Amino acid sequence: MPHATATADLMRPPFPAEPGAGVYSSKLGMWVFLASDVMFFTALIGTYIILRFGVTEPWAQPGAVLNVPLTAFNTFLLICSSVSMVKAYAAIADGKKYFLRAVPGKTLRDGGLKFWLLVTMICGAAFVGVQVVEYIKLVGHGFTPTGYREGSLLAEHAAANAVRYGAATGGLYGSTFFSMTGFHGFHVTCGVISMTYLYVTKVLPEKYSAQDYRGIEVIGLYWHFVDLVWIILFTIVYLI
Amino acid sequence: METVAHKRPNYVAIWGYLFVLTVIEVAAALMSHIPKHWLILILLFLAIWKALLVAMYFMHLRFERWRLRVVFMVPLPLAAILVLATITEKIW
Amino acid sequence: MTSVAATAPAHGAHHAPQSFWRKYIFSTDHKIIGIQFLFVSLFFLLVGGVLAMQMRWALGFPGKPMPGAGLLPETMATNGVILPEYYVQLVSMHGTFMVFFAIMPLLVGVYANFLIPLKIGAHDMAFPRINMASFWTALLAGLLMFTSFFVPEGAIRSGWTNYAPLSARPDLSGVTIGQQLWCISIVVLGLSSVMGSLNYITTIINHRAPGMTWFRMPLSVWALFITAILGVLALPVLQGAAILLLFDQTIGTHFFDPVAGGQALLWQHLFWFFGHPEVYILILPAMGMVSDMIANGSRKPIFGYHSMVFAIIAIGFLGWIVWGHHMFMSGMNPTLGSSFMISTLVIAVPSAVKVFNWLGTMWRGNLRFHVPMLNAVAFVAMFTIGGLSGVFMAATPVDMYIHDTQFIVAHIHYVLFGGSLFALFGAIPYWYPKMFGRMMDERVGKIHFWLTFVFYNLTFFPMHILGMGGQMRRLYDPTQYDFLKPQQPLNQFITISAFLLFASQLLFAVNFLWSLKRGKKAPLNPWEDNGLEWSLPSPAPHGNWDRAPTVYRGPYEFSAPEAGNRDYLPQHEKLPTDREPASATAPAAGH
Repeated sequence: MPHATATADLMRPPFPAEPGAGVYSSKLGMWVFLASDVMFFTALIGTYIILRFGVTEPWAQPGAVLNVPLTAFNTFLLICSSVSMVKAYAAIADGKKYFLRAVPGKTLRDGGLKFWLLVTMICGAAFVGVQVVEYIKLVGHGFTPTGYREGSLLAEHAAANAVRYGAATGGLYGSTFFSMTGFHGFHVTCGVISMTYLYVTKVLPEKYSAQDYRGIEVIGLYWHFVDLVWIILFTIVYLI
Repeated sequence: METVAHKRPNYVAIWGYLFVLTVIEVAAALMSHIPKHWLILILLFLAIWKALLVAMYFMHLRFERWRLRVVFMVPLPLAAILVLATITEKIW
Repeated sequence: MTSVAATAPAHGAHHAPQSFWRKYIFSTDHKIIGIQFLFVSLFFLLVGGVLAMQMRWALGFPGKPMPGAGLLPETMATNGVILPEYYVQLVSMHGTFMVFFAIMPLLVGVYANFLIPLKIGAHDMAFPRINMASFWTALLAGLLMFTSFFVPEGAIRSGWTNYAPLSARPDLSGVTIGQQLWCISIVVLGLSSVMGSLNYITTIINHRAPGMTWFRMPLSVWALFITAILGVLALPVLQGAAILLLFDQTIGTHFFDPVAGGQALLWQHLFWFFGHPEVYILILPAMGMVSDMIANGSRKPIFGYHSMVFAIIAIGFLGWIVWGHHMFMSGMNPTLGSSFMISTLVIAVPSAVKVFNWLGTMWRGNLRFHVPMLNAVAFVAMFTIGGLSGVFMAATPVDMYIHDTQFIVAHIHYVLFGGSLFALFGAIPYWYPKMFGRMMDERVGKIHFWLTFVFYNLTFFPMHILGMGGQMRRLYDPTQYDFLKPQQPLNQFITISAFLLFASQLLFAVNFLWSLKRGKKAPLNPWEDNGLEWSLPSPAPHGNWDRAPTVYRGPYEFSAPEAGNRDYLPQHEKLPTDREPASATAPAAGH
């Protein structure tokens, strides 16, 4: 705030002011935004749950259409990116603005903000990459947002084994799958883009410090949220 | 500066837990002899456990004031109400 | 802060002079953003009104050529007679524009933006640039919606609630691009709403001036706070639903189409889960501002301030579990329907508490019937009527008969026009001096009020009777049914009253526009009110205060003995008996 009496510590709530949430405003704002994002995913995931409960014909069995092992690896990748994100946050909280620094007595060098955030971005981008590849393969085999494409490989499988492939509910399976994972992927992509922007404009020029790393904490919250949603999605879309 | 003083959690340990829980989940899902209803409960339980780990430790909710936790908790019952009410259209 | 007399505290911060573009167009100042919303929303209010006038022509004089219909293309009106396809577009877009682009932005976009920082003693919103983005996104959404009139096949024809599968199937509704535009516009508007709401919530929680404790906040701020919480949680659900509908329309999914496993009621549940909190978004800020105006006009503290706060919170909370009362006739699960009946009847209680408290405020008050007070008192009476018709509708057995009739239309307009719009007709002149530095003309305001009040009741009250007589909603020509023919004179009467009502608004428009340049110059505190905003010059400067004010008391200390020979006592004035709040000097404890 340009006019207020400046606080020494920017990571405290605004001052002078009545006690509020007890945290600085961008953090509160991000939490409120995440609450609204929960409601957005509720509409999409809720639709999936409601429609799936409502169909009388069998839904496709897990693993029949989707590649569970690959996605399990992808899930692991996203979790890794969440860990590297929180390591980045811990690093800048300790003032470690650097990339890597040798530590006497240890073989592994100590990672700073620049290192850990880059790891996060790479893992995040890899997650999106794997998803895109998966999408291309699925569509190639005939799994589309409107169901099994006529004449495709999956359509043949579905005709041969209607229960395993949920032939009767293939359309809804495709629609719900692509809408949920697609919007999740969109959220991940936005996260990677935001991180890249911050990396270039703030992290590389070492504008964050132990006294002010609000941007890192805030983007971290968003990133963990995106991971959290994926944890739920992976289970209910791929495994159940 | 942390808003509430606390000992920093061991992030690598949490990562380990998440990894193990994911392995258990995938293994359980691939074990086709578990009855479907039990499987769903187990998987949901594991997923929620993982989600809580991320929320509590990575998002630091464990160490934040209640005022901040409330912000995240408020949409959850609303989501549940919407989904459960609409499900009754077909299964009640 | 040791100032006692009602002098203006230090002016706004010393900024480098800004260009016209940064100052008035791409402004991050919450006051300018509020004013931008005001002009845009009043325009869309006019659009909604023009659409309504055409609807009223068709209902009052079915089959007769409409004056001015020569301007419309042949697809909308042949030989000057409105076509059925165009009539349902008018109905759908009247609702859409009024709800999403007129009333909601007028109450929230304008007054949340303008009032919140001023009333809590902050320099601006927590996130000024996000605030600016929320205006431009809302404008984009409005323009997208507006263009749907000009694309092939025109705007949606499925009602403002756009039920699926009709809305998902262009082969059934006859509208392709217009439907897609509606969905996209709603998603964009949702973004604007969420950005705004998170600003309001964060600002109110974290940026209250020292001494502005939760229970010293004006009720307008409380109402806007709860409204923002409703908005931030409800709009994303609508966005999700609109996206799924867009997929149904464009890529061939069948979320809402029972033909392929989808559920038509799913759309209704998703829409109304948003839709009901939405209507509380449309009324709570009005209630809040009315409280401020009535306390001021009565020269008395609000009766039962705490219960007013709890009533607002109760309405906000209960508003999430009543949505099914819009769906009693949809074929939904009857047991679920009963639960909604009960919750809907319960939600009448906190609203009633508020009505009694307003009456209690006015009772034995030193009443000043300035224009805002007239409109605020009308609000209480008209909202009560609207609320009472709501109780009829809440009872499912009754609703079976009156659902989708003009009775519902009467209810909607009693709460939205009699409620929200009257509150706005009071709020606009009330805060006009702080916005523009001038007063709106009081005499013209009074004439406008009385004409509006009379013609409004003549227009909308008979709709209760029409509805009970069985006239359905969205009906192109009532006279096509023999059983409705006897009521047609009433339809004509309503139409003429509606035209006169619309014409009366010209007075408001002229008053508003003329006073911008020629209105009486406004003093600091023309209404002798206690809020923090009245301690600033009229119009309020950029940055509001140099140093945050300190608050010593609640906002409704009218006719307080401590005030001496004045009948008001501003929140920021320090009396010798007042102590400094703890937060003025020390950062919040517990870190």
